[in-house]
Amino acid sequence: MATTVETLRTGEPAPPARPLVASRARASRRILIDRLACRLVVLGGIVIIASILAILLVIVGEVYPLFKKPTADLVGRYQPPLASTLAPGDSVGVDEYREVAYAVTRSGALALYALDGRRALAAVPVPDLNGAEVTAVAALGKGPLAVGTSDGRVIPLDLKFEVTFHGGGRAVAPKPEFGEAARLDPERKRPILRLASIASASGPLTVAQVGPTDLLVHSVVEKKALIGGSRKEESITPATVGLDGEITALRLDGRGEDLFIGTSHGQVIRYDVREAQRPQRLEAVDVASAPGAPVTTLGFLIGDRTLVVGDGAGGVSTWQVVPPPSGGERRLTRVYTFQGHHGPVVAVNGSKRDKGFATADASGQIHVHYGTSGRTLLSMKVAAGQPLQSVVVAPKSDGLLAADRDGLLTQWRVDNPHPEVTLKTVFGKVWYEGYSEPAWVWQSTGGTDDFEAKFSLTPLIYGTLKGTFYALLFAVPLALLAAVYVSEFMHPNIKAYVKPVVEIMAALPSVVLGFLAGLWLAPMVERVVPGLFLVPFVVAPCILAVFALWRIVPSAIRGRVRPGMELALLVPVVLVGVWLALALGGLVEQTLLAGSYRGWLLSALGLTYDQRNSMVVGIAMGFAVIPIIFTIAEDSLANVPQHLRAGSLALGATRWQTATRIVLPTASPGIFSAMMIGFGRAVGETMIVLMATGNTPVMDWSIFNGFRALSANIAVELPEAPEGGTLFRVLFLAAFLLFCLTFAVNTVAEVVRLKLRRKFRYL
Amino acid sequence: MSPAARHLWRGGEPFIWLTGGALALALLLVAGFLGLIVVNGFGLFWPQDVVRLTLTDGKTLTGPLVEREAIPGEAGQHRVKIKVANRDLYGADFQWVDETSIVRREYPTDVVVMERTEWGLLIGTIKEVREAGRAVATGPAQGAAELARRLPDAARARREIRAIEKGEVGAINHAQEGIRLALRRLEGQKRYQERAAKLAELRARQTATVVVAADGGKEKELPLIQVLGVETPNMMSFAAKGVYYVGRVWEFVSNDPRESNTEGGVFPAIFGTVMMVMIMSVMVTPLGVLAAFYLREYARQGTFVSAVRIAVNNLAGVPSIVFGVFGVGFFIYLVGGSIDRLFFSEALPTPTFGTGGILWASLTLALLTVPVVIVATEEGLAAIPRGMREASLALGATKLETTLRVVLPAVMPSVLTGLILAMARAAGEVAPLMITGVVKLAPALPIDGFWPFLHLERKFMHLGFHIYDVGFQSPNVDAARPMVFVTTLLLLLIVVLLNLFAISTRNRLRRKYAMSAV
Repeated sequence: MATTVETLRTGEPAPPARPLVASRARASRRILIDRLACRLVVLGGIVIIASILAILLVIVGEVYPLFKKPTADLVGRYQPPLASTLAPGDSVGVDEYREVAYAVTRSGALALYALDGRRALAAVPVPDLNGAEVTAVAALGKGPLAVGTSDGRVIPLDLKFEVTFHGGGRAVAPKPEFGEAARLDPERKRPILRLASIASASGPLTVAQVGPTDLLVHSVVEKKALIGGSRKEESITPATVGLDGEITALRLDGRGEDLFIGTSHGQVIRYDVREAQRPQRLEAVDVASAPGAPVTTLGFLIGDRTLVVGDGAGGVSTWQVVPPPSGGERRLTRVYTFQGHHGPVVAVNGSKRDKGFATADASGQIHVHYGTSGRTLLSMKVAAGQPLQSVVVAPKSDGLLAADRDGLLTQWRVDNPHPEVTLKTVFGKVWYEGYSEPAWVWQSTGGTDDFEAKFSLTPLIYGTLKGTFYALLFAVPLALLAAVYVSEFMHPNIKAYVKPVVEIMAALPSVVLGFLAGLWLAPMVERVVPGLFLVPFVVAPCILAVFALWRIVPSAIRGRVRPGMELALLVPVVLVGVWLALALGGLVEQTLLAGSYRGWLLSALGLTYDQRNSMVVGIAMGFAVIPIIFTIAEDSLANVPQHLRAGSLALGATRWQTATRIVLPTASPGIFSAMMIGFGRAVGETMIVLMATGNTPVMDWSIFNGFRALSANIAVELPEAPEGGTLFRVLFLAAFLLFCLTFAVNTVAEVVRLKLRRKFRYL
Repeated sequence: MSPAARHLWRGGEPFIWLTGGALALALLLVAGFLGLIVVNGFGLFWPQDVVRLTLTDGKTLTGPLVEREAIPGEAGQHRVKIKVANRDLYGADFQWVDETSIVRREYPTDVVVMERTEWGLLIGTIKEVREAGRAVATGPAQGAAELARRLPDAARARREIRAIEKGEVGAINHAQEGIRLALRRLEGQKRYQERAAKLAELRARQTATVVVAADGGKEKELPLIQVLGVETPNMMSFAAKGVYYVGRVWEFVSNDPRESNTEGGVFPAIFGTVMMVMIMSVMVTPLGVLAAFYLREYARQGTFVSAVRIAVNNLAGVPSIVFGVFGVGFFIYLVGGSIDRLFFSEALPTPTFGTGGILWASLTLALLTVPVVIVATEEGLAAIPRGMREASLALGATKLETTLRVVLPAVMPSVLTGLILAMARAAGEVAPLMITGVVKLAPALPIDGFWPFLHLERKFMHLGFHIYDVGFQSPNVDAARPMVFVTTLLLLLIVVLLNLFAISTRNRLRRKYAMSAV
């Protein structure tokens, strides 16, 4: 710094050099700056690299809550406001903010509990009881209740909770409304022992048990009269159920189709009650976990398709009315058996949001189960006291209430946001509602609230692998053969032009490939399917034939063409070969396949042909993968040390023998890594599979069908998935899988490649 | 098999030809692919002759022929696809006609092809031009002359209406949004009403219409203000066609899309693509260069660094959709959501930054392409001869000075190469954008005349997504297909040119360093 260039002119004697020690302060400042910069670069570099690698952490962070263990915290215990035992049946409930709970007492009052504990709510008496007691309560799905009395009447009770917001606070006020009582047993006034009631589309339907085996079916059908308003048609049909023992449980499904009767001998009897005046017995099934144990309680999961059975031996199982896998009549079929209780199950209650439910036994043990996964999620125990009578899942599934016989309530807060996801439901076969057997299904959204989301990633993984397989089937032979030709046999002058072309091919946006595949290739392929299958079998003989002809050409002409220039001749030959194959394909279709390959596929192989199928994807995605495999394979072939080739040729081997016996084996790890990287690219490809397949999550290997890949699934469903929801997190799980798969494959390929490079250095 | 043939077979010469065949097939595929797009893309704007077909049953069909194919199952017979247009009159744009049922083909000179603001093209002959319901010109020749005279006025009025609708009314809306004072709002309201009145008046003044007779005895009366252009392709000379072609291409790159993206231009998509790539470049260059310098110049080389290097390399192979998912989880919901809670809480629950937008899409792509820049820069750093650094250090420069004055200038071309490759990749990438903020039709560009001028939270349009959307989501895929081809061609041109530039830069650099190493 101290000497400048100007001072060193030729011919002049160099001036005496000034001491190089500039100011000490300046030097130390420079060193300080340098150290600071060094720290800064190191820090910045580490931060950048860490944040790049943090991608995995963010994705895992979004996935983790899916598999978090559910928890339940005791919120409190609440003394009953009235000194009376609870009525049997679905007599306890809670509002959706878990502020007000209610219980119907045997003495005929609606007891209200303020769960925040700050106020007391007055109990509401059931009107016009006239000394009768409440003997049964049945819930009709989410809202209203039906109250059965000891003198044979049923009183509808609609309990609404009015929520008002003011000043940031929330006030919940219960608004019970009692309806007009229906006299089910006007003559004998027998007490109603059990009650099942629904409000179906045609009108309310109530089934009441009035004796050990005696039922009354009460239906009100509203009929529109031609003139004037509507006319109510009420009917009461007595029915006696033929069985040993007595009826111990009753449940009606919400559609008013089936009535399920539990018996003291461990059976469930199914009746068809679509015609209320003529109930028909359909079947009786042994459901108890131990022979002869009575069915103590029946319940439905949301949607009323899965029946939960609790029995006297403590067994809990779910059942569905489905046709057997081989086809035939629908039968009540066991789906899952859950972790049981030690004593008789006294209560079952389904969640109003998902397929979860809670069961309780008299000793105070409570289990929370999930219907889709067949798993018992939580288990808790009420402190000793009176025997437990009722258990209720809060409307938002965020809490649980249990009531003992005297009305002492216990409340838990339940944190269980993703009950439907376990490793088994994501990867294994799951028995969904309405299916005859367990299956792998992806169906994330449905039209109704009670839709059972089906989050099996298996069909999507299957689709991804299927697409990848067909893409590699197309790409690997083409790319590897081309790489061998370019690196071993091609004239270097042409090589300089071919390689950039292939590099450009690698840069083609996949959306372009997908668009062409979906809109241009798919309809075109559809016309020439048989011809396409003939291409390899026609083009190869064509090339061989031209080769044979070429040998006949006088060597005077042949000698002028340098080796490695075959390509110029081959391009037109391949073109003609492809054309020939397509023409032959039409001929084959006419003669051998009876004029239509589609008809032949269907009749001979039982395959259907989709226009956007795996073959189209294979070609388009192969197109995307070819340049990658080609470039890496060609690199590793070209890097094989030249003296190996020279030695082999000097020993008299031909150039083909040298290539296959010397060069290929030496470079084989590189070729392996090329295939792995090609695999990685095909697995993650999104736009091509999105645009060129039908995106139906089916599982079969047919090349003429479409599929749905993990990547396309994410692209389609993530914009619609609510943040933090189960679907959102499952899609993150899919991304996590893709990440791991490609990262692992690429790492293996990279390590293999590095090893190979080291090996070449030694050779 | 003769011994000579067997010798040849064992020697493997035929197999060499087979491997050559594979390469030829691959090259043919690329050529066919590019050719297909170029032919379809460049062909769209060339005015095609309009043919009038008279069929055996006496019906006539008028329009350009689009396609000809063999009838499946009937050897030697062909059918043609004619674009009859007039979607509002016939329902479908295209019609297939068996060649055997065509009695006569003619090329009438009086047929006009009208481009209009809705319903696609109108093909027919001009019957008359009306002003407020009264005919001012009848017949094709007079009508055409009258149209030519009136169209500029109509175009001006249309532009004015558009300017008011989009510009001034938009500005008032924007102002109202910010102004909370009742008085000022009233003022704004007044101006709004004035403009609305002007709009109504402008619309009312445009009473001129043109009546066009189409095939099948149908007539269409079209307000002149809806006519974008009229031409008679059968009368045009080659030069006229060329001029027209250039005009159409310009329209395509400079206009907004019409009719759910199937007509008009792609300007917003080009703008969105370019802007996103630019934001991405601004982000990715310093990050990538810093990381590469750390890895190559500052970190102690060892197992850890080579593991990091492998990981970064492999990141380039992680599917782009995974980066998109990361962008959704991290940028949009975590970062964006936090920004919303901190700075835009008054707008909640409507998200400002907590939803997809151009900033988040760019950042996601920056992350996606940062390995490309790192790898290219590292390669460049490795190629710089050790002697250069040592000379600088020997002259007493500190490491920082060496890095900034010697290494950085030398590595700049490599950085540039990496950046260009990154840009090319980002321009063509669609999957991660689909979930981080691309939309089929953005109401406004990310840059406009309102404070703060650059709206990074806005959603945007993108050429690649445009292809996907128009090709697969549009209601009339057949009519939209040419449009998709042109968009594809445009995207391909951008990507391929960027790549060619990068490749040639890289090759030049390699040669330079190969010489300097000697």
